[in-house]
Amino acid sequence: MKQTNIILCGIGGEGLVLLSNIIGETCRIAGENVISGEMHGLAQRSGSVIVHMRIGDEVLSPLIPPGEADVIVSLEVMEALRYIHYLKPGGTVITNKRLVHPPGETLDLVLRKIERYVEYEEVLEAIKSNDANVVEVNALSLAKKADEVRAQNVVLLGALSASLSGSIPMKSFLDAVEETVPKKAVESNVKAFELGADAYES
Amino acid sequence: MSFKDVIDEEEREAYMLCNEAIVRAALEADVQLVSFYPGAPQTEILDNFEKASNKYDLKIEVATNEKVALETVAGGAMLGKRSLTSMKSVGTNVASDALYTLAYTGLKGGCLCLIADDPHAHSSQSEQDGRWFGLTAYLPMLEPSTPREAMEMVKKGFELSEKFGTLVLIRTTTRVNHQSGIVPLGPMKRTPFEKVSWKNMKRPYTSVGELARKGKKEMLERMEEIREKMADSSLNRVEYFDGQKLTDEGGDEEKLGVITAGVAHSYTVEALSRLGSSAKILKLGVINPMPEDVIKKFCQGLDKVVVVEELSPYIEDVVRRLVKDVDVYGKRTDHFSEALEYGIPSVLLGLSEITGVEAPFDYKKHCREMKKHGEILPQRLPVFCAGCPHRATFWALRRAVGDPDKVFFSNDIGCYSMMCLPPVEWSDTLLCMGASMGVAAGVQYAAEEKTIAVIGDSTLFHAGLPGVVNLVHNQDDVTIFVLDNAVTAMTGQQSHPGNPKKAGGREGKKLDIRRVLEGLGVEKIYDISSYEVKDNVPVIKEALEHKGVSAVISHGECALYHYRNYRHDGGKLVPYFIDLETCESVHACVLNFMCPAISVMPDKDGKARIHQDICVGCGVCAKLCPKGAIKSTATIYGGENKPIYTVEDYEKYVEKKEVKE
Repeated sequence: MKQTNIILCGIGGEGLVLLSNIIGETCRIAGENVISGEMHGLAQRSGSVIVHMRIGDEVLSPLIPPGEADVIVSLEVMEALRYIHYLKPGGTVITNKRLVHPPGETLDLVLRKIERYVEYEEVLEAIKSNDANVVEVNALSLAKKADEVRAQNVVLLGALSASLSGSIPMKSFLDAVEETVPKKAVESNVKAFELGADAYES
Repeated sequence: MSFKDVIDEEEREAYMLCNEAIVRAALEADVQLVSFYPGAPQTEILDNFEKASNKYDLKIEVATNEKVALETVAGGAMLGKRSLTSMKSVGTNVASDALYTLAYTGLKGGCLCLIADDPHAHSSQSEQDGRWFGLTAYLPMLEPSTPREAMEMVKKGFELSEKFGTLVLIRTTTRVNHQSGIVPLGPMKRTPFEKVSWKNMKRPYTSVGELARKGKKEMLERMEEIREKMADSSLNRVEYFDGQKLTDEGGDEEKLGVITAGVAHSYTVEALSRLGSSAKILKLGVINPMPEDVIKKFCQGLDKVVVVEELSPYIEDVVRRLVKDVDVYGKRTDHFSEALEYGIPSVLLGLSEITGVEAPFDYKKHCREMKKHGEILPQRLPVFCAGCPHRATFWALRRAVGDPDKVFFSNDIGCYSMMCLPPVEWSDTLLCMGASMGVAAGVQYAAEEKTIAVIGDSTLFHAGLPGVVNLVHNQDDVTIFVLDNAVTAMTGQQSHPGNPKKAGGREGKKLDIRRVLEGLGVEKIYDISSYEVKDNVPVIKEALEHKGVSAVISHGECALYHYRNYRHDGGKLVPYFIDLETCESVHACVLNFMCPAISVMPDKDGKARIHQDICVGCGVCAKLCPKGAIKSTATIYGGENKPIYTVEDYEKYVEKKEVKE
């Protein structure tokens, strides 16, 4: 029974829904069955966002059970840790090299309810201590390199495609990117995708 | 998945959100009239119909509320037009007055009402179970599990509605509405919208006294007829899970049966697969009238039947009534909960206890262990967006009130509901759309403190106006705050009667809120501009001191809406920045303001920092900084009046500056 479970997470407004749409299109193009479950509603209000994506003939439920995700793709490192219980033992976490302090954390810091901010490295360590294979991607710098600062999500998509190269052809991903992003942004998004894929390999 | 698939004329497969698939199916079924009030988890149905209305000949309204929406589509259906509305669970409460009587009158045209429940109360005030509307109103109700089924049921629903002359309900839940999958796109055969002669199809849609008694009799007969005719509907299917895979037949010797519907079906099959257990499954698609004979037949020869459904034991109690010689398991036996949404783990646990098959994996223990490492994480709660006018209004309101214990704060439904959540936690009541006004009327009699009632513009039109009329007529002592941000912001900035645009971005008539309140007889009305924080404090104080009904209308467009339009028109954002030489780390910008664009820099004496990629340049924090340390990036170039510069320009400026140093 071959199935692939992917958790996509991040902060509202980072382009997670577009990312899940591209993966869905990829599966359609590749002839794979796909189901996803997403949470809308507070997505634009800087809250935590999660999308469940499930690929394979046997999948029915829109939600991945805890401990069964093959990959977690996170646009922000704290969110990868927040949803780490979805990861299967030895699964892969592809995280953006980026930490965004929630406004509530800043408030607590100023009110001296906490002594200091949580730091990127300690979040990363906590993820690693969960028997996760961690791949860090500096999506912002790669997106800038591709000349499309908003394509951080597509950079991470590239990295995800490299991690799934055994099951879904890279070309399906590229076709889906071309179909989904606005015409004038295709070239830069393809570049962003490729840079992300390279980052996973290296 | 995108809107272009929804209107694609090609017959092929597409990856779609269920709410998009519902729109696609209705368009394929040649729906002619639709009307909605937005609300999670069904808002995307309205959003996609708005876009579709620019291509197809289709009448569409963003209605003032769900009741008006249902009445509107019923009106169209009285003239034989295929029509559709959808509403969130609690929206049906508002629409129910019309709903119950429409069941008595029946309808001519195909008319669908989709009720989107929200188990887990992800974005609702309750976990209300909408299935009872079907049962208690005597209306047929279908329940899909997947986008593909939803499409099928929309099409069948129209046929059913026309065949039996009744409104048909479709019930979904958040996990169905917000599920995406591969669906087939069928032929798009649209006909132009044409007026028809009422004279030719005239018959009364009236119900009172003698008419109601007659209508009730007809309604009961209709439901029995539907129960009979729908008994062998393919929407109710028997499947067999052999422990590994699902098949349409087999399992004649099977002793374990599961009856399920909606998204719980998917959890059931996957849970069985993880347990390696076989079972016969009755998957119900018609949940009213319940296919009683199908259920009885299904249970014959079984030892155990398990009912897996979220929320109330709606199906389970029917099964208990019908089946006496088989053990029935479910919520009544404490194997499943009436609270919260389900998932594979909760269904697996229940099935494991009932069957005695050991669970292969301890999900709870796993989550506990994995979450230990996450204890270092701060919560990431939703906050008002950068530039949100509500943040500014509440800052001024809080200053004007002084001690929050001096007032009773009656809150309402909208983005501003967030005030009741941590870390602010300032709201004394929050019930339902428009309730701020009604509750305030009672509170002002009983409380020694001043009563204030806060309501958004869309919510005011939706259900607030009767409450305002009541306050005025009874000469109550309440100060009303209307947050006029031009749109129904929380659901994605749809238009409402206070916006000059109507559905599909077409020109409508804007109702001026001040004139509405004047017309209703509110004695004192103050208009304030949300962003003028400091100037607003004395105005609000004056309003609060007024004995009787006073109103403060805070004008400030939803930041997401405003800045999207602004950028669409070629405008560029001008973010603010902290002048580090002036900042003294007093943190006025952080305390009680909570803008997602602001954090502090521990390595620079805790001085504040404004994230240029988040700040939209509303400038409110600059007005509140006692040290004057927050400045517009425009000033870098020589003054506020200079042409607008971009975030990228600013970054280049900062980079250059660092190089120089």
